[in-house]
Amino acid sequence: MACEKIMAMTKEQVMEIAITAGKILLCSGAETSRVEDTIVRMCALRGMNTVSVFCTPSVIIVSNEFAGDFTCMYRVSRRGTDLGLISEINELSFSFARWQHDYTETMNILREKLNRPPRPNYIETFSSGLAAASFAVVLGGDLYEFIGAFFAAAAAMFVLKKIAPFRPSSFWETTLAGVILCAVALVFQKLIPGNSMEKMTVGAIMPFLPGVAFTNGLRDYMAGDLMSGNTRVSEALLLVGGLAIGMAAVLGIWHA
Amino acid sequence: MLVSIFFAFIATIAFGKLFNTPRRVLVLGGLVGAIGFAVYIYMKDVLGYSSMLSNFAGTIVLSIISEVFARIFKEPVTVFSIPGIIPLVPGLPLYRAMNFFMLNAYNVGMEKMVQASLDATAIALGILLISSIARLFKNSKTRALQAKIKE
Repeated sequence: MACEKIMAMTKEQVMEIAITAGKILLCSGAETSRVEDTIVRMCALRGMNTVSVFCTPSVIIVSNEFAGDFTCMYRVSRRGTDLGLISEINELSFSFARWQHDYTETMNILREKLNRPPRPNYIETFSSGLAAASFAVVLGGDLYEFIGAFFAAAAAMFVLKKIAPFRPSSFWETTLAGVILCAVALVFQKLIPGNSMEKMTVGAIMPFLPGVAFTNGLRDYMAGDLMSGNTRVSEALLLVGGLAIGMAAVLGIWHA
Repeated sequence: MLVSIFFAFIATIAFGKLFNTPRRVLVLGGLVGAIGFAVYIYMKDVLGYSSMLSNFAGTIVLSIISEVFARIFKEPVTVFSIPGIIPLVPGLPLYRAMNFFMLNAYNVGMEKMVQASLDATAIALGILLISSIARLFKNSKTRALQAKIKE
């Protein structure tokens, strides 16, 4: 084994590195089983075989089976989706067996990932618009519906990014998105008669459907994390409900 | 049909960008989504199976492909599977249900709602099946590794 080459770290330092990695994973929307696996693996690689981890979508607790030992706990209140960060941490945890950096360097690497500034708004606005517009075409739309769906989804995403500093709850965020995209699609349908409202709206709601929560929840169920599975799936149902309420509000006013 | 498969490919790539997928696997993720959607649309429109069964088949195919890609390219599975299932999500029945509810047509609206939830259930079953089988493989591998370390 390559145990001679790796940098020596104390137990506390290894634990701190492991929970920081877990924190990044959970905040970027990884499954809880992945968070637990990563922390246990990183600790086991440094000879700590009795570490127990408990992780739900809102908390990580790392402790030991024995009394008189220390506990790390981290409370997560805000989660996003960043598959790039998950992939980076995954790589880091697999290369942890032959890790050449000492504690300070490792923490600096992790801190850089944790405090990485969010990407500029226009990338997310543009890509959600493009995704929505492509879905309008998948459903059989033409050029006008492509454009309508693009602007509906982009407008909704733009507003969500603008109100993000006020930290609204994700339920109201999604409801607001439903209202905005339905209203914009309605305007486009009035401007260009013959445009199908249906295709534009269905295309535009796609970026706001909770696909990540749904997929991760089901994967958590199969990993045996029933609590996390319940939490994520009910989160997904709640968000779909919010989106439906937002759409229904606009449609109700329109039909009235 | 080819046009819609191509646009499913574009849409999956756009989703990958939205979720900040690593750039080197962005196009592969699009491929996963396009293949899943192609299976779905072929079974539904050409072979004439129900929407639920087509969704199930599409999800199974794309989950298997994303598990394989994850092993080949050493990335987490979710990098491929999360953008990949998005083209199958039943947005159309959901919208129709809401529209009919608002028109006071509760019968038709409920029918669409049930259709949407059945489609979602089919997708869920597909993910559950493949991820549990993948977990079996992974566990057997870990056990072999542990046995090796003990020796």
